[in-house]
Amino acid sequence: MGPPRHSLDTLRPLSESELNEWEEAYAAVEAYLQALRLRNRLLVAELVRGILWRASARRVDEPEKPARFLAMEEALTEVAEWTQDVLDVPLENRRLAARGRLALLLAGMSGKWQGVFLTPAPWPPEFVEAMKKSYLAAGPRFANLTMIPKPLELNAIGSGAAQWWETMDRRPIMRLMFIGLLIALIALLLWFFLF
Amino acid sequence: MENPDSSPRDSTKPFFGRFRTIFRRTIFFGAVVIVNLLASLWLADLFWRMGFQKAHYPLLGIFIVLNGLLVLGSFHAIFGAIDMLLGRRQSVRISKLAEGKTGPLTYRHAVVIPVYNEDSVRVCARIEAIYRSIEVTGNLDSFDFFILSDTRDLDLWVMEETSWTNLCRSLDGFGRIYYRRRKTNENRKAGNIGDFVRTWGGGYESMLVLDADSLMDGADIVKMTRVMEAYPRLGILQTAPKLIRGNSVFTRLQQFAMRLYGPLFIRGLNYWQLSGGSYWGHNALIRVKPFSEFCELPALPGREPFGGRILSHDFVEAALMVTQGWEVWLAWDIEGSYEEAPPTLVDHLIRDRRWCQGNLQHLWLIFARKLPFSVRMHLFMGIMAYLGSPLWFLFLALGTWIAFDRSGSGLSQLPFENYAARWFHVDGIQQSIILTLVIFALLFLPKILAVIGAILTPSIRRSFGGTIPIVVGATLETVVSMLLAPCIMAAHTMMVISIISGRAVGWGNQNRETDGTSWGDAIRFHAVQTVLGIVWTAIALKISLTFTAWMIPILLGLLLSAPVSVWTSRSRYGRALARKGILSTPEELKPPSVILLADGATAAVDPALDAALDARRGIVAAVVDPYVNGVHVSLLEHSEITSTDESLAERCLSEGPSGLTKSELTDLLYLAPAMLMMHRAVWLRPAEGIHDVWTQAVESYRRRLDQSAISGPT
Repeated sequence: MGPPRHSLDTLRPLSESELNEWEEAYAAVEAYLQALRLRNRLLVAELVRGILWRASARRVDEPEKPARFLAMEEALTEVAEWTQDVLDVPLENRRLAARGRLALLLAGMSGKWQGVFLTPAPWPPEFVEAMKKSYLAAGPRFANLTMIPKPLELNAIGSGAAQWWETMDRRPIMRLMFIGLLIALIALLLWFFLF
Repeated sequence: MENPDSSPRDSTKPFFGRFRTIFRRTIFFGAVVIVNLLASLWLADLFWRMGFQKAHYPLLGIFIVLNGLLVLGSFHAIFGAIDMLLGRRQSVRISKLAEGKTGPLTYRHAVVIPVYNEDSVRVCARIEAIYRSIEVTGNLDSFDFFILSDTRDLDLWVMEETSWTNLCRSLDGFGRIYYRRRKTNENRKAGNIGDFVRTWGGGYESMLVLDADSLMDGADIVKMTRVMEAYPRLGILQTAPKLIRGNSVFTRLQQFAMRLYGPLFIRGLNYWQLSGGSYWGHNALIRVKPFSEFCELPALPGREPFGGRILSHDFVEAALMVTQGWEVWLAWDIEGSYEEAPPTLVDHLIRDRRWCQGNLQHLWLIFARKLPFSVRMHLFMGIMAYLGSPLWFLFLALGTWIAFDRSGSGLSQLPFENYAARWFHVDGIQQSIILTLVIFALLFLPKILAVIGAILTPSIRRSFGGTIPIVVGATLETVVSMLLAPCIMAAHTMMVISIISGRAVGWGNQNRETDGTSWGDAIRFHAVQTVLGIVWTAIALKISLTFTAWMIPILLGLLLSAPVSVWTSRSRYGRALARKGILSTPEELKPPSVILLADGATAAVDPALDAALDARRGIVAAVVDPYVNGVHVSLLEHSEITSTDESLAERCLSEGPSGLTKSELTDLLYLAPAMLMMHRAVWLRPAEGIHDVWTQAVESYRRRLDQSAISGPT
């Protein structure tokens, strides 16, 4: 993290459009810290200032990159590297960035550990322990059982009906004939009983 | 079949002997058959007096079936009342095996909650209440909780993850409350439970299966597990859930009726089913090992709607357990078991459409070999719960036809002296009235018995708020249920016809709460009933005024189906009734501790992890919010991103989630590297490079900061 007391002289003099560009960068970093639920405005202001300082230093060498991009990249990298240091796990792939954010959440960083966020070591042991034990498990250790369906044992009537039913499923013409027969039978019964 | 667990089961003496079981069933069903036979003979004799027409034969045949169902229902209440009068000591009560047992449980047990597109905050509130309730008993270490998601709505999926994480954070429940989502929801709820059993079932002696709207008291859960541990022959222990939290008139009517009349039926059911009980799909404890061995459901012959996968799996699972020698008991005295009901008649009928198809599939099982008597009876009653409606409709239609035919024929109504006249000296009209009175007695006897029992028992009377609320509630419930019955009959008849004509039903989530049915929806939904009512009324008026008067309860129910549906769906009327103490249940007047716990549960809600805000809901939160993204990605399996995945993620960034198909979005949400890449992109890229939905979500954090700056510290 850049020293907060450092001035932003590298940026000066700033044109109107550059001012707007850095304003946008400021807003984005501030929003990200807000997204991390940092509530204390003094802390947020200090952290934004530090991140912008590092971004402004990079801008000297990478003038083609927008200020917002540089600032946010600094912010994301800073959070990822800091959580890596706290967790003491190498940042092998981006997935660990998610692990780091998850740890921040589960350890309650936005609550009682706001003041520790992005500060250099040493950190309170209680905080480090809370960070390290923060992980999610969708289930306990597998304890498999097998479930194999047993075929339905039908009696003679059921077996006959099943055969007939499956035949009707396979052959639509049979189904149509059956439905026709059924309707005729119902009509016959109605005629017989009602007239 | 030999299995490793058979020895403790087989060496344990049955809780209720075989001879006594047969005796009870003979008494119960014998009484049903005799009463039905007498009523049917009485009607046949009446027909004989009137002069048998050909149409009387099918009418009599249908009457025998319908009256049989009516007598069966009534006798459940009558035997239940007798069982109650004999006292708690005399009645068969499996849960007494847990009495006097204290100390830690021997085995581990799981509480499983399958969810499908539910409000995750409410589901988690119920889990929190159950968790805390078990914690009070000191047995929490013996339980693990599993939220088994089959949710297809992607926003709700993300919300489930955040609610679960918040719940675990708040309760310190990591490693005890688990969340798992299936990629494909094969075989619906049965498949969901089956997947749990296959994956983790081996770690548990039993699982308590709950629905998303279930709530159970911790002490009762522990009691049930003690019964399971004490009695190795037990396969399933089903409780009788009470309906709670009804706001609409419809739900309040249902919960009042179930609460007041339900215990009679439950005791009556327990009287004969004993160890051959049924499983109702939730609020039941299941021994996992035999469930895994015997309860993987077979496919039925042919395709849906009659064949294919079994929809109503619960009855069949109990049937398979009982067939394999495991006992299935109804724990009627477990009080702390609750569920919620569909809020409106329309929602109720939509749910019934699924149940109807599922129960009609059971017709195949009637023809299965080796099924015990109790299993066949349960299947038969389940099937007839829906087939009874078309039969009733046919009965009424035939009756109308005969009346119509007679009105035109000019035949004498009483041409012969029949047996009733000879033996009991009654004329035809008296004979009709006696039969009608008997039918009415059978219809209303359960309600009358329940009301008398409640009034005469001080504790029950007080729990319902006194005699007047009981009488007024029961009267209102009777009147409205009489109005609703013809509408439900017509709806069920249409369901059966639609299923017979080959239309299968999908798997919808259940509406738990509503503001009510709109007039437009009600008129559309009940159009057939209304038209049927108009036509039937015209025919009845043409026949005679007397016939119309006899048919009034049916005709009114059909004609008023839409208004009654709308009126009963309104929560404001329900609340007005509640303020007067009408249709109130004991759980409403004096909520049990677990309901209070659920009402006050807030663990699943935390502004630090929220995917339910308008500006960044569900999928948007999973991409934009650092914590929601962190939780979501942490729950995914490791995967590598391909160029195709990258281009899909780029499309999602430029077109927003709405630019992708559901299948593409689902794939994307399962790709951890893509979700991480998108998270970086929405924060790094300028607004011009990505879709508005992302920039607005990013902006939403800033607005909050600005607003808090303006409003100042509080």
